[in-house]
Amino acid sequence: MAGRLLLVCRLMVRDLRRRRTETVLLLVAISAATATLTLGLALNNALAKPYERTRAATAGPDVVAMPGATGPQALAALAPLASAPGVTAHSGPYPIAYLMLTAHGKTVQVVVQGRDNSPAALDRPAVTTGTWVRPGGVVIEPTFANALGVRTGDTVAINGRPLRVVGTAVTAARAVYPNADWRFGPGSPLVQLAGLAWVDSSEIGVLADAKPPSYTLNLRFADPHASTSFRHMSRGGIEYTSWTQIAETDGRLVKQARLALLVGAWLLTALAVASVANIVAGRVVDQRRRVGLLKAVGAGPAMIAAVHLAEYLVIGLAAAGTGLTAGWLTAPALTNPGAGLLGSTGTHPPALRTVLAVTVLALAIAAAATLAPVLRAATTDTVHALADAATPPRRRRWRVWLSRRMPTALLIGVRVNARRPRRAHLVMVNTLITTTALAALFMGLAQDQQVRLGESELASPRNTRTLQAMFLVVVVLCVLALVNAIVSTWTAVLDARHPLAVARTLGATPAQVTAGMAVAQLLPAIPGVALGIPVGIGLYLVATPGQPQYAPASWMLAVALAVLFAVAVLTAIPALAATRHPVADALQ
Amino acid sequence: MTGSALLRARGVTRWYGRGSALVRAVDEVDLEVPAGQTLAIMGPSGCGKSTLLHLLGGLQRPTDGEIWLAEHRIDGMSERGLARLRRHHVGFVFQSFHLMDELTAVENVELAALLAGQSPRRARQRALDLLDRVGLADRAKHLPSALSGGQRQRVAIARALSNEPLLVLADEPTGNLDSAATLEVLRLFEELRRSGQTLVVVTHDPRIAAVADRIISMRDGAFADDNRLVGTTTIGTTTAAGTGTVYGRVR
Repeated sequence: MAGRLLLVCRLMVRDLRRRRTETVLLLVAISAATATLTLGLALNNALAKPYERTRAATAGPDVVAMPGATGPQALAALAPLASAPGVTAHSGPYPIAYLMLTAHGKTVQVVVQGRDNSPAALDRPAVTTGTWVRPGGVVIEPTFANALGVRTGDTVAINGRPLRVVGTAVTAARAVYPNADWRFGPGSPLVQLAGLAWVDSSEIGVLADAKPPSYTLNLRFADPHASTSFRHMSRGGIEYTSWTQIAETDGRLVKQARLALLVGAWLLTALAVASVANIVAGRVVDQRRRVGLLKAVGAGPAMIAAVHLAEYLVIGLAAAGTGLTAGWLTAPALTNPGAGLLGSTGTHPPALRTVLAVTVLALAIAAAATLAPVLRAATTDTVHALADAATPPRRRRWRVWLSRRMPTALLIGVRVNARRPRRAHLVMVNTLITTTALAALFMGLAQDQQVRLGESELASPRNTRTLQAMFLVVVVLCVLALVNAIVSTWTAVLDARHPLAVARTLGATPAQVTAGMAVAQLLPAIPGVALGIPVGIGLYLVATPGQPQYAPASWMLAVALAVLFAVAVLTAIPALAATRHPVADALQ
Repeated sequence: MTGSALLRARGVTRWYGRGSALVRAVDEVDLEVPAGQTLAIMGPSGCGKSTLLHLLGGLQRPTDGEIWLAEHRIDGMSERGLARLRRHHVGFVFQSFHLMDELTAVENVELAALLAGQSPRRARQRALDLLDRVGLADRAKHLPSALSGGQRQRVAIARALSNEPLLVLADEPTGNLDSAATLEVLRLFEELRRSGQTLVVVTHDPRIAAVADRIISMRDGAFADDNRLVGTTTIGTTTAAGTGTVYGRVR
């Protein structure tokens, strides 16, 4: 047993060392998938965890009450609520006004709340930069500040009155920009989108031009069910909003991004499997000989499978670790900027559930992509494995008739693919997935990225974050697709060295051989691209609520041509390099 | 099976293809090889001698017929059973050496012993002894790429002997070697023959046949001639005697 174990370890270590480049490529391929899955799972927490953390840190209320009336009538309506049965704590009422904020030439709607420095039992906004409110200053919710492009120290105008931005702060008592105003009742001066700002209580009357302000009262109940049994309700002229409604509204900001990442994780997983299969396929030739050799000296199928699987499982485990770390480190980039909430998904180590899911994915990719070739090799006739012959293409009369009428380059391309049909399938899968992701991204880019808040438009944080997630997925996908394309073309060129040398001895020029190799890759890439564009568009339409705009046809055409051009160039380079070697070398 | 024959084949047939493309690579061959015999199988390219060797070693399955090795019927054995048989009872020597490129000479030699479940220490000692026997003790830590063709083949022969097999099967062992390297291999085979090792060699080389106790000529998948030889051999010279397809030994 010790001897066999030693043998498995020795063969694994030596083979990994001998094929460093392939090992690194495999690691990159599987890590890309595991990193994206880590990111997707981490963003699941982004729906709830940061809000919960913010709520705990700022003593967030269970329910926020806002009367429809203003001024003294509003105060009178709210007064009995503070001492209502079941209420254990309250803060407010705080005056609020629906005003217009001007910064950098843009005038947008803002909900302004009047606060002071007195301690509050509930809703104590956490200052993230600068200081809390003071006379002459305004504190802005950070997502809103980001969209406006203002920082602490800048000057903004509220209803035409200049105020210095003294800080930014987050709260759990109101949804972040652009959903800071959630009132549903008719007659509201602002009904949909707005940012949130705080000023000193003494100034709100001046800012509102002496109009009577509205008020908001924060409540906490002894019974948790009192705040979770509803999201929003209107009773006795008062609007009640529970914390679950605010959490859901905040979560909507990252919902699309999370979906993009989850779909991206699946696409990346599929591409990673294709990538691993691609790299493994490149090794099959050598593997088959190795298997034949092991069989000849008495290794059984189980031993052969163990030798090969051990290698891939080690790579899979390393990739799981790499992917977890990369995903964990990248997650804050998607949740931190302007999140309007405290904490981020990446600041805590990944959960055990995430570690398990990622490890299982990495091992499954490694096993799935290698099991088939390993088993096939293990059950291959030993003599054939040692002889290592390529699968002869099936001869059909019509194929022979057709091939005689083809231009040389096309004929070479067709024949190269006929020798290794599985490699052609992998090229198709590679281009299909890459084009799908690119088409979906271009659909995303075609959407309106702005939201209108009164007179001006500002960047939509939801769309920005969704595009960020899609960009991230597409960049990783493109890197992986590039790795795939390079591996595929190089192995194809190396594998076809001998038949291409024969073609050259029969009179094919280096240009024809190069073009033939490019054609071999382009033939399966064309259906991949043709399918990828509608699949990408369809995927975006399914995943996006409402009626998204279609990207211009010229964009999609450009995507298709760019992918095909990249495939052709990536193939032509190694093929051209191969034609520089003397024919005799390849024939030996 | 008869008691004295280590290897016995009866009506062994191997066909490839079907219909008009049917090739009878081995056609109803009967063979008995007693323990300790050195048998050379000769014949033109494509006559089926390599296929027969693969069938005898369990690397391929016959289309029809029976093969017995050391009282085990191997033609219907499972893949695992065949692997176990090769591991313990058969050593192979190939024309292309088939060494593992990533393993050193000594690691290649101990491969079969480790597969057979020997302890690493014992397997290493045996491998070093065998390398010493084939004159490559000073090349034990070299990778195959750092060895000459003759040295690689000697490593392959050492590997074939590592589990003290009942039968060594060699397929064109000198086919890729120059004259000097061929002589080295010939000396090893002569030594094996003297030590009583059962050896079946497929070869084109009359010098290899000259060290055999028996020479079988094959043509079109069947035996054309079967000559048992006696006497001594002079390695490095070809002293033809006998009739037709018999080389190098005095009858």
